[in-house]
Amino acid sequence: MTTSSQSFTRLDVCNRFLESVRHSVVLGLEVLSAEENAVRVRVPWREDLVGNPETGVMHGGAIFAMMDHAGGMAVTCRTFPTFEITPTIDFRVDHLRGPEKGAAVFCEATCYRLTTHVAFVRITTWEEGNEDEPIATGLATYTRLKIETAGKVVGQ
Amino acid sequence: MKALKTLIEECRAGEADYQSLIDRVPYARFLGIQVVAQGDELTFVLPKHDNVVGNPTLPALHGGAVAGFMEQAAIIFILLQMGEPRVPKTIDFTIDYLRAGLFRDTYAECSVTRLGRRIANVHISAWQKNRQEPITIARAHFLLSDDAG
Repeated sequence: MTTSSQSFTRLDVCNRFLESVRHSVVLGLEVLSAEENAVRVRVPWREDLVGNPETGVMHGGAIFAMMDHAGGMAVTCRTFPTFEITPTIDFRVDHLRGPEKGAAVFCEATCYRLTTHVAFVRITTWEEGNEDEPIATGLATYTRLKIETAGKVVGQ
Repeated sequence: MKALKTLIEECRAGEADYQSLIDRVPYARFLGIQVVAQGDELTFVLPKHDNVVGNPTLPALHGGAVAGFMEQAAIIFILLQMGEPRVPKTIDFTIDYLRAGLFRDTYAECSVTRLGRRIANVHISAWQKNRQEPITIARAHFLLSDDAG
């Protein structure tokens, strides 16, 4: 851990990252925890995020957006304390089953391999309170842009 | 709310606007998705809007918003081809990001590679400047029949 000498934590950086991304704020995303090898993010169930009006189930797109941003934060947690801009190269999500109507959804993202230019991330997603049965899994790659001023996004 | 099947039959017959299909879906309204029909050809539009911005410094669209837009476009596209329309369930969705999505309108078109009894395979392409330079391409599978579990 390198946090002891820093005045800000991984959670701080992830929260600032989240606040800078308008779409994630509008979705109501919330960072629950941020550690070197795992970030947890939550999206609330909301009427306007419903994908199927007959069942009230949340749209896959809202779940995807949470997983994509959580994946980016997983990379942030690995590169910490340096903040990098890491656009998604590709992302695959498997919807194992539909979430229950009214349930908030959260995911855990892990950057399991970080190379000079590419970060490899996996994400598992659950309904809140039902961590035994994932509703979706994701696998993604992100590229590490070498931008000197990237830290400004999170106030560094 | 009008039954889905009735609405789709009306869209096919030219009696209802395709937009009414999209506006049934709360998340599609949240993103502000529109559809333009030229004959049988459908182009989906994600109008530029503050709420779909991701990276604020570029500014660039949120990859998740673009993905959600493409997934919803595919769902509407398949619905219009189904004999007994039921909202397809996404099995998997795979997206490649080729270029940054700039803060401008985004367009998408779909092609169904295979429409089976249970499963549909769809390709979706999204662009901003012209369709020869897609910003993202995606491939998705949808479950069409509830009976298939």
